[in-house]
Amino acid sequence: MASTPIDTDALVIGAGPVGLFQAFQLGLQGIACHIVDALPHPGGQCAELYADKPIYDIPGIPVCTGRELVERLRQQIAPFQPTFHLGQTVETLQATGDGRWAVGTNTGSAWRAKTVFIAAGVGAFVPRSLSIEGLVPHMGRQVWFASSPLPDFAGQHLLVTGDGDSALQACLDAASTAASVTLMHRREHFSAEPERMEAFKAAQATGRVRFVAGQATAIAVAGERLTALRCLNAEGAEVDLPCDQLVMALGLSPKLGPVAQWGLQIERKQLVVSTDTFATSAPGIFAVGDINTYPGKKKLILCGFHEATLAAFGASAYLWPNDKTLLQYTTTSTTLHQRLGLI
Amino acid sequence: MTHVVTENCIRCKYTDCVDVCPVDCFREGPNFLTIDPDECIDCAVCIPECPANAIYAEEDLPADQQHMIKLNAELAQLPSWKSITKRKAPLPDADEWKDKSGKLKELVR
Repeated sequence: MASTPIDTDALVIGAGPVGLFQAFQLGLQGIACHIVDALPHPGGQCAELYADKPIYDIPGIPVCTGRELVERLRQQIAPFQPTFHLGQTVETLQATGDGRWAVGTNTGSAWRAKTVFIAAGVGAFVPRSLSIEGLVPHMGRQVWFASSPLPDFAGQHLLVTGDGDSALQACLDAASTAASVTLMHRREHFSAEPERMEAFKAAQATGRVRFVAGQATAIAVAGERLTALRCLNAEGAEVDLPCDQLVMALGLSPKLGPVAQWGLQIERKQLVVSTDTFATSAPGIFAVGDINTYPGKKKLILCGFHEATLAAFGASAYLWPNDKTLLQYTTTSTTLHQRLGLI
Repeated sequence: MTHVVTENCIRCKYTDCVDVCPVDCFREGPNFLTIDPDECIDCAVCIPECPANAIYAEEDLPADQQHMIKLNAELAQLPSWKSITKRKAPLPDADEWKDKSGKLKELVR
């Protein structure tokens, strides 16, 4: 269901490090923005893939983790109060006919934006599914992704697949009310926070949850109802794990998705930009970070910061073609100090 | 530039990589996965996923694996090598073959 579009000067697609810094540079130019991202939190790859891994090539920060970089960027952009729209994926981007862009997401959010900044990295992070046939008709009734809000499993036989925090947590959340809780993974080895593994072991000891080693091969159905997950067990035998409800907690992976269908000039699935303003082939649409390509492109966060800076200057000139876009220094400019909320 | 699957994948085929590929550029043969260089966008997300450390960026490729650039491109064009986008079970004796070198002669087209 589409809501009334939000009018904005700028919409940033992607809340990874480059999307966040884009909001900062737009803020310095006096341009307020909205930011949309598929994940329920900002950070993109830094949050999903490198949260605890060190980054050594951010200028002025000898070392920080992905999570720390995101936190610092959030602090840095706070004065500009960008509006976040999280947990939704941009699906459509179309010219409106009055020089603006109509942008819509899978959850019905919509904008009419004068400028759009595509900072979508390697795509939207979407939940991974079990690689078996026939799950789709049961989604939202008996089959769920752990990354989405889950229903109450009271009185139900619940089967969870996965080995991470979200898998263990889904088991623990249902342990006291579900009829039974079974966790299935290839082997009994989890990649979760120690406290959560402790809690899971404790629940296992009381018999409230159980673990089964196995690999899903198919689903068993009776009429329209899913009745079991068929698996190869540790001995290589095919067994049915009966269940009323199935939760897939297999993590997230990026998918480039509909970007290629937006009518922008593409080269090897990446958006072609000019290196003076990082404008794409469409007026008012800029592309920054891993999603763009140009001669000499390097997929580095620090290059994305440079791209976002020039894109913000480009947007300023695009939005106010009759005004001269001034180069001002944050050290000395009273205008910038006002925008940063310092005076 | 592209990313390249090296000999380490032969007779293992863990397929963890295909789950994370944002552009679905992996192709599957009987006992090896290859990357279609025309599809790969060099995002590098697959590299840490591989239990056999078989994937490298083209410019980081070890000297003894340079021949795999051409082989990846060639295998990706074979009509019988189809796109693989979801993880499946590794080959049954994958763990035994995982750390062996010089597996090129084992490759089945």
